[in-house]
Amino acid sequence: MAEIEVRDIRHVYDQGSPDETVAIERINLTLQDGTANALLGPSGCGKTTLLQIISGLLQPTEGHILIDGEDVTDKPPAERDIAQVFQFPVIYRSMDVYGNLAFPLRNGGVPEAEIESRVHRISELLELDDILHSSPSNLGPELNQLVALGRGIIRADTSAILFDEPMTDVEPSRKLTIRRRVKEAQQEFGITALYVTHDQHEALTFAEQVAIMKDGNLVQYDTGENLYQSPVNTFIGHFIGSPGMNLLECGLSQENGDPHAHLGPHQVPLDSALAPRLDLGWTDCHVGIRPSSVTVQVAEPHEDTGYLPATVDQVEMLGGFQIITATLDHTDVEVKARVAHDFAIDEGASVWLSFPPSDIRFFHDHEAIPA
Amino acid sequence: MKQRPWLFLLPALLLVSISAFIPLMTVMNYSQLTLLPGTQPYFAGLENFVAILQDPAFQGALGRQFLFSFLVLITEIPLGLALALCMPKDGPGVGVSLVLLGIPLLIPWNVVGIIWRVFTRSDIGVLPEVFDWVGVTYNVSQFTGDAWWTVLAMDIWHWTPLVVLICYAGLQAIPEEFYMAAKIDRASPWKTFRYVTLPNLRGVLIIAVLLRLMDSFKIYAEPFVLTGGGPGSATTFLSTYTSRMAIGGFQMGRGAATSLIYFFIVILLSFVVYIIMLNLGQGAGNDS
Repeated sequence: MAEIEVRDIRHVYDQGSPDETVAIERINLTLQDGTANALLGPSGCGKTTLLQIISGLLQPTEGHILIDGEDVTDKPPAERDIAQVFQFPVIYRSMDVYGNLAFPLRNGGVPEAEIESRVHRISELLELDDILHSSPSNLGPELNQLVALGRGIIRADTSAILFDEPMTDVEPSRKLTIRRRVKEAQQEFGITALYVTHDQHEALTFAEQVAIMKDGNLVQYDTGENLYQSPVNTFIGHFIGSPGMNLLECGLSQENGDPHAHLGPHQVPLDSALAPRLDLGWTDCHVGIRPSSVTVQVAEPHEDTGYLPATVDQVEMLGGFQIITATLDHTDVEVKARVAHDFAIDEGASVWLSFPPSDIRFFHDHEAIPA
Repeated sequence: MKQRPWLFLLPALLLVSISAFIPLMTVMNYSQLTLLPGTQPYFAGLENFVAILQDPAFQGALGRQFLFSFLVLITEIPLGLALALCMPKDGPGVGVSLVLLGIPLLIPWNVVGIIWRVFTRSDIGVLPEVFDWVGVTYNVSQFTGDAWWTVLAMDIWHWTPLVVLICYAGLQAIPEEFYMAAKIDRASPWKTFRYVTLPNLRGVLIIAVLLRLMDSFKIYAEPFVLTGGGPGSATTFLSTYTSRMAIGGFQMGRGAATSLIYFFIVILLSFVVYIIMLNLGQGAGNDS
């Protein structure tokens, strides 16, 4: 149980050589004691590098790692009390499940009696009781991954556990079960957890707080709700949500003191609270709106109620709902909207779209302007 | 048209029958006959086999063969593995080590024999000279021990690099995560070797052991060039015995029977070793 602090971490691979690559620009991050966190980002953004720096498998070029306030930057992994579960299940093939679970304890010189009670506690929690004396080679990757997880949390002094895309080898149908057991174990022991993934669904269901990385930088560290509702920039807006936020390039004007965004000939009223923060001289502005916030109407509105005319390009059925892609008339602005599964609409049809001002986010230079 | 796939197999079948099947059948046929030059062959049944199995020279050669292969395996496998572990994992050192290791493997067997023959000759050889300096007499054509360890040294020098290459390839294939996990699990270097490296190398080690076992059973050129199987019959192994029987002794029937016994021993032994190794460390038991 520990608080993990990542302080000014920077990492460069092959420093000084022609192949020099900056994996992490500079990151500061504090993981609160006992919380479940996720580290999310596209492939190659430095997630795994950061994870290995925290666990001590990699020495950072600059910066410090603090566990409960103590600087452990120079300590080897064995002395950090941090467990790690890897992308594919790492198991010791020559030992059975029991031997695998007991391995870290035996290495630490724990008495056999205590080892036995701990192994049983963990196997009960992870539902591995029936296979304790099976050879891991005969079990599937799901169970092996659970064994690897068990090995991580079995030590009484494990203060944090890091997961490096642990579901890669797990069959989609088994992911839910495995994730539930992982989550239960994390809560049961109150272990600080950091779960690396590029699957936002996995991140958002596992973690209370999600850190999003891009190109070696930490972009936003927040709750799932905030990431979805208040992205700090267009990258997060687009990255979180499926499909991501609509990001529409726009102009800016003010009428009667109320700010408006221009999408070609169309005008979209913005939240009036934004007015004092906007500068009419700005270029490179975007309005962002979630597909689920876009209101779609097939019948032409009677009077000017802020509906914009558009033509449907594509309708995608996604089971419980449909995603329609429409182009605003007289522009090449594409908008995605989420509608009910039984919403009758055809490709090529005319629709009217409306963006409720309170759901619109405004971005300048790709950074969010808070209302 | 259903027979068409067989047409595609025909060249391979033809090749195999010429290179393996027909010779084997011929040998089987010979082994049942008494074949002496200048006389009519006649059917001997199992007579050849019984005579060979009772021949003290065969028993001696077989015993020496087992001892030799055993010594080869217990030296070359650990040594090869140890060298593979010492090799650099990346950088320019890799290429250099691979080329150095490849040199003994590239030299034909008889050339290896000749190199060592010259090296160990009592009149002009370097080795006897060196031993002389330290006050030890070394003579491969006189002393059984000298002949033995020289043949062993030749085989180890010649074939350990193969074991190194096989193990090195196997080591390279072990994912780095296994070692990371061992670090996090606080495993000592020995335990890391015992529970990460060895189990992951099991497959390639089986191959290395089988290759070296079969090959060491076929040892011929080295003792032949060095001492011709001597002194006495001290370095006469199964292959030397067989060729002496068939070609030197003009007893083709006996020679053929020896070949079959020889063949059977190699197959049986390889199978037994394979089964043992396959089950080694695979048990669900708690082996720590």
